[in-house]
Amino acid sequence: MSKHLSQEEFFTALSSLFTTQKTTQKGTVLLTQKRFTYSPSSPSPPEPTPESESDLSALTTPLPPAPILIRATNAKSSSGRKEGKKVKLSTLVQPDDLDAFYVRYAEVCKAGMSGLKPRDRTKRKAKEKARKKMKAQA
Amino acid sequence: MPFYEKSEDWLHHSSLLLAARPDTTRITTNYHLSPARRTPKNAAPEQAAEDAKKGTRGHLVITTFDPKSGASLKYRTSKAQEVGRLVQMLGNLAAKAAGRKEEDEEVKKEEDVEMGDGAAAESGVATPMTGGAGPAVQQQQPPQAGGGGGGGKGKKKKGKR
Repeated sequence: MSKHLSQEEFFTALSSLFTTQKTTQKGTVLLTQKRFTYSPSSPSPPEPTPESESDLSALTTPLPPAPILIRATNAKSSSGRKEGKKVKLSTLVQPDDLDAFYVRYAEVCKAGMSGLKPRDRTKRKAKEKARKKMKAQA
Repeated sequence: MPFYEKSEDWLHHSSLLLAARPDTTRITTNYHLSPARRTPKNAAPEQAAEDAKKGTRGHLVITTFDPKSGASLKYRTSKAQEVGRLVQMLGNLAAKAAGRKEEDEEVKKEEDVEMGDGAAAESGVATPMTGGAGPAVQQQQPPQAGGGGGGGKGKKKKGKR
């Protein structure tokens, strides 16, 4: 099992993951986030409470603070794992650090996801052209 | 497993699912890049070069999944301009999952009330108010806010026509 990275290491590793994807021009970057409630002292999964009870407790008692686990992987299959192509990253973010983390996370994602369509400006350009023509005629 | 048309709908339903099952729900962001045109392996090199010119195509799918109930809420986009907004939504959901829900809601409510008051003070014919802030303002100062609200509604209707 891999250990959790620090936030700095996580961001550098994540951006390198995006750049390798860009250079190969195909592939996947898979990001996951969830509430981190694992504790080694109680290896069994959270106690199975009856549905009605758990629903009620969720409504009445506020959620105890817990860190958020962020995972990133390039989603390589088992054969890729054998060849050492699989990349798995993870980091823990404490509730107080969430805002700062997500600002940087957004920057990295925006820079990395450059394969998406840019904003379509053709319509606006066409309008401007028409306006200029009108002015020229007038 | 529905795909939502609007990211706001996805956010709303995801936050509900997260509130119901905070410990098991996870949010996955899948960014996939593939060539715009796939070339067969035995294709001529000229055609391969031509296909390579077409560039790549990226897709982004966000999924909120709860393994316990099997609920899976999805949103798909290929627009670069949405990435920032979506990551912000992820941040909001993460804050809720981390147990910071109460603080955030209080802060938001305060902001809403302040904004409503400011708008009412600035002009009697106020800009159309949000549903959340409207009633609170009306309770505080019934005559002014009522007139303002009516004026605002009339103006809005005129604009629509």
